[in-house]
Amino acid sequence: MATPEALTTAEMPPPRMTTGPAGWARDNLFASYSSGVITIVSAGVVLYVAWQFIVWAFTSADWSIIPTLGGTLIIGQYNSVTVCDSQNCFWRPQASLLLVTTFLGIGWAAAGGGLARTVALAIALGSALMALLPLPLSEMGVDVRLLLAANIPAVFLGRAIGLRTPLGSLRWLIILAILIYIASILLLRGIEGVPGLQPIASRYWGGLMLNLFLAVGGISMSLPLGILLALGRRSRLPFIKVICVGIIEFFRGVPLITLLFMSQVLLPLAFPQGFPLEEVTRAAIVITLFSSAYMAENIRGGLQGLHPGQAEAARALGLPVWRATIHITLPQAIRNVVPAIVGQFISLFKDTSLVYIIGMLDLVEIGNAFIGGNREFLDNSRELFIVIALIFWIFNYGMSYVSRRVESNLGVGRR
Amino acid sequence: MAGHHTARLLTYQGIPVWRHIVVIQWALQVLSAVAVAGLVFWFFTNISNAIDDRDIPYGFSFLERAYQTPIGEHVLPYDSSDTYAYAFLVAASNTVVLAIVGVILAISFGTLIGIARISSNWALSRLALAYVEFFRNVPVLVLILFTFYIMLLLPPVAESYSVGGRVYLHNGGLAVPWPTPAGQALPALAWLALAAAGAAAGVLTHRFLTRREAVTGHVSYPLTAGIATALGIALIFWIVIALLSGAAPLTIETPAPTGRFSTIEGGLHVRAGAIVMLISLVIYTAAFIAEIVRAGIQSVGKGQTEAALATGLHSVGVLRYIVFPQAVRVIVPPLISQCLNLTKNSSLAAAIGFADLTNVAITMTQTAPAISIFLIIMAAYLLMSLAWSAIGNIYNWRARIVGT
Repeated sequence: MATPEALTTAEMPPPRMTTGPAGWARDNLFASYSSGVITIVSAGVVLYVAWQFIVWAFTSADWSIIPTLGGTLIIGQYNSVTVCDSQNCFWRPQASLLLVTTFLGIGWAAAGGGLARTVALAIALGSALMALLPLPLSEMGVDVRLLLAANIPAVFLGRAIGLRTPLGSLRWLIILAILIYIASILLLRGIEGVPGLQPIASRYWGGLMLNLFLAVGGISMSLPLGILLALGRRSRLPFIKVICVGIIEFFRGVPLITLLFMSQVLLPLAFPQGFPLEEVTRAAIVITLFSSAYMAENIRGGLQGLHPGQAEAARALGLPVWRATIHITLPQAIRNVVPAIVGQFISLFKDTSLVYIIGMLDLVEIGNAFIGGNREFLDNSRELFIVIALIFWIFNYGMSYVSRRVESNLGVGRR
Repeated sequence: MAGHHTARLLTYQGIPVWRHIVVIQWALQVLSAVAVAGLVFWFFTNISNAIDDRDIPYGFSFLERAYQTPIGEHVLPYDSSDTYAYAFLVAASNTVVLAIVGVILAISFGTLIGIARISSNWALSRLALAYVEFFRNVPVLVLILFTFYIMLLLPPVAESYSVGGRVYLHNGGLAVPWPTPAGQALPALAWLALAAAGAAAGVLTHRFLTRREAVTGHVSYPLTAGIATALGIALIFWIVIALLSGAAPLTIETPAPTGRFSTIEGGLHVRAGAIVMLISLVIYTAAFIAEIVRAGIQSVGKGQTEAALATGLHSVGVLRYIVFPQAVRVIVPPLISQCLNLTKNSSLAAAIGFADLTNVAITMTQTAPAISIFLIIMAAYLLMSLAWSAIGNIYNWRARIVGT
């Protein structure tokens, strides 16, 4: 009987290869017979579907519906002369985009690089690349392309401003963000009596611009509102608690589309006749409230996950309750639920597509209304909705990428 | 001294009132109560003014009037002469059926993808990841419209796609074979009731044998025995009823084209709107459920899997008996919230004209008071979300960890 000692190294079979591509494939793709079958089947499915898609995309698919809709998908009817009093107003959304990229440049300077730099450059580059779209010059003129390309100088200009002036501080950034949001609204709405800025009714706002506008407004308002609601729900004061629970549960229990529709029918009644409350404002209010109810529950989850010792220690050190909340409990609670909060941002951005119910032409509804009105394009609906889905996907995937980076920067799970 | 005197007047329990916690808290509460009450009062005054000035209809008397509008698809029998109240019920039942079927499909599909996501096979887990990352980041409305237009591009009824002359797919919907009572309904109902009792007996058998196996170690294949019990009882009563009534209680009815313009008769018809909603909601929600299932399974300590493998359990057995029962506790609460989301997202049916609760309600606002309709559907949706929470709570109560 052979004892282990009887086998010399020379007689032993070589150890199984675990490095290199072959070793990796054996461990991860062909670890067992069943695993091998799964690998071959899933590779087959992927290759077949991808091949079919490529063949379809390059032969039978007709992508001409995209240039037919063209800039309307992005800026709604701002490039239509009928809306803009016998001239083309495309420059107004473009100018507000330039303001945003400049602001991102300042933010990059303030943060000193890292994630802020990636985001600023990605957005500026993405906007500038649109200048290279292979559309005829009659569809997309040189002026449009130049304004889009100007986003790259704008981001560097912003960075220079941020580095050389006191604007690159956190306090100024918040003020600038609010100022730029207001400036964008003024640019898009127009100001009565100012040449070149004729007022444009907000029902003409549309396209991706509208989705982004509602999303940015909703995100920046729903986070603070959600924090307030979450704190209110955890409050020991019975009346405040009841009100916050009521608001949260009401908005979480009813579909957004129902709320939006009723905001159209009911909200005008709840305000005095003639109260200026346009569709966009109503949509923004409803989306914000809806989203902040979910946000409140996410933040409450973070607060509940926090050890009570944190708050107790802060109180023992003599911090008043509100200071303990702002400086000790909230930052830790929010840090722990960053993925859930960003998930809610993504969900809010996706939900902006529901404004079609009150007759606003957002990115999705522009496509839907176009096909509904021009049935000869029914065959091309697939191409159109694939492009629309991809646009949403890029933004949402970008947000979840940023969230993962933020999470690792904050060191969640490591301390 | 005057200053000293005022300072003493404004104290409570020896503390200046503006610094006394109880006073501050009460002041806060009273202030917010006044603000909320004021806002509500203002809204109500405005609404009642509007009702008076602009002749806006209100009240619930419309519920007894005939709705007199067709409803595209309905699970419950419906006729245009039925009342508004009944039309609400019909629309709500559409939403409920859509939600229940959708939830069952989404949970099954999502669980499969979630398990694929943590597979040790790289290709499979990447495929599942791609699915999740794509569908999570696209609005469900885009999926609905995409599916809707694909459905519209299908051939009309007369040129339906047919699978072996049994299943028909056309731009108006899908027709599949379906068991229907051949003659009277009574034998069919009796058999269904008895088969349900058989299924219950099967579950009890399974439970009893599992317990006995756990206590005595006596191997008795509980799952096989349970299924055999259920099928056996169903089969015996099938034969008994067939002998008594002279015909099989249920026959599988195959849809078949009839007439010159080819309507398809027989079998079960699922209208295009329902198919579109079901496909898009299931694809979308499954992506979220997959992540929940993955997180749940990964929350179970690695030592559990290793210990189970060490005792000789097969990898499927590890998942079935060791990991899953523990993961379910983590999975269920977020899963319930996804079920609620699916129910609420079914309201997007309004975009494609499927007659769900929201869509019917929106149509009704043209002929009935919008305020009352809003209150009714609000109550209906809140009821549905309460129902989901109740299911979640019952589960949580049953699955709670009882101290050893």
